[in-house]
Amino acid sequence: MRSLLKRYRELIFVVALLAIPFSVFFVKAKKAREMTFLDRAVVALIAPVERILTGIAFVGIDAWQSYLALRRVREENVALRRENLRASTTLQQAAELRLENERLRRLLDFEDKQSGLRLLVARIVAVGASPHSHTLRIARGSDDGIVKGSPVIAPEGVVGMVSQLTGSYADVQLIVAPLSYVPALSQRTRSRSTVHGTGDISRCKLEYALRNDDLHEGDVLVTAGAPNSFPPGLRLGHVTNVQRKPVGLFTAAEVIPAVDFSRLDEVAVIVQPAAKPPADGIAEAPAGATP
Amino acid sequence: MKLRIFLVVLVCMALAVLESVIPFLLHLRAARADLLLSVVLYLALHDDIVQGAALSAAAGYLSDLTSATPAFLYTFLAVLTFVVVRMAGSALKTEGGVQSAAIAFGASVIHSIVASMLFGFVLGVGFHLELAPLLWSAFGTALAAPFVFAILGRLDSGFPKAEGAVQGRIR
Repeated sequence: MRSLLKRYRELIFVVALLAIPFSVFFVKAKKAREMTFLDRAVVALIAPVERILTGIAFVGIDAWQSYLALRRVREENVALRRENLRASTTLQQAAELRLENERLRRLLDFEDKQSGLRLLVARIVAVGASPHSHTLRIARGSDDGIVKGSPVIAPEGVVGMVSQLTGSYADVQLIVAPLSYVPALSQRTRSRSTVHGTGDISRCKLEYALRNDDLHEGDVLVTAGAPNSFPPGLRLGHVTNVQRKPVGLFTAAEVIPAVDFSRLDEVAVIVQPAAKPPADGIAEAPAGATP
Repeated sequence: MKLRIFLVVLVCMALAVLESVIPFLLHLRAARADLLLSVVLYLALHDDIVQGAALSAAAGYLSDLTSATPAFLYTFLAVLTFVVVRMAGSALKTEGGVQSAAIAFGASVIHSIVASMLFGFVLGVGFHLELAPLLWSAFGTALAAPFVFAILGRLDSGFPKAEGAVQGRIR
């Protein structure tokens, strides 16, 4: 037996190296990845280097852009003065509209559901290393209050969700990743559906849109909102390639994401605020206690 | 040999960093070189079986960790690539240059197809493959492979060749 083992030790070693990772992948593929101590240690080694390299590159890019900007600054100055004049007019109108909006909100007793949320701006330090991955690495982690599943957004719309994190870094799974499902709402018709990633960085699949929904090419989709997920009303993208089938419950369509993921430098993570202490530091009286 | 193993792992980590930073800085969508795949190819063509397979697994693990994909997909694929290329053996024997680029191109295409199949079927999301990104990625990998081979060749020149290296078969 021992001589047999010795004879085939290379074969056994290689087969074990194939079988163990495949078994773990097969069993755990659908579950979210839990980072082990080794994973954290390796990320702690790699991520700061990524951050430094990205930082150095950005300094160089900024310097070059500053030089180019200086060359154009004179003509831009004149244009900007004119624009400033127009902008200040618009600003005054906007301020007026804001006041009107506030008045109307009070009138409707509207509660801003996003007011309890905190936005944490995070710099992207790297993208998923593999050509097949759909992730971004940001320089914020659990130390900043981020948790697994925290929504990540950009000014243009939804970016994705935090899929794994260490103390200082987090990996964001983009909405185009095949494992991503986001409940969506058509801005025009308010009909519900689900935006499912396909693995293609430029488009997602629209699922569970009812066949009798009035879905049109170009319809804007926003997040429907769900507990511990994206707040409602964030832009996801617009509908394209609508295919109405003669039979079946649902309409097939594709979604062009609102965000160009290859052009992102910074994102914002939506963080749930910690539980507020009682007002004025006065402890709440225990149930049944008399004053 | 322990120093060599350490240095190869260090090279893998450096390449993993480059692999994730360069596409971000250059805003590359598709033409992203799979540098760690080139390391696996080099190991399959130049290393002995046990050490090469273990180092391939390490390279795959790094790829897994920096891609945030389901655990061990790329670890498995790296060892599988090592075994397949190793079995092809002397037919693919190369010291670098154009040959290594050609091997990297082919390996990258097959690697992407197998990765997409495994990912799609095991996760139940179906087989989805975009031809253009696949070819761009293979092109990027082919361009980078001679450099990776040169780095690892330079590293190996400082060490005596391991016994049993490149025999083209698994005993």
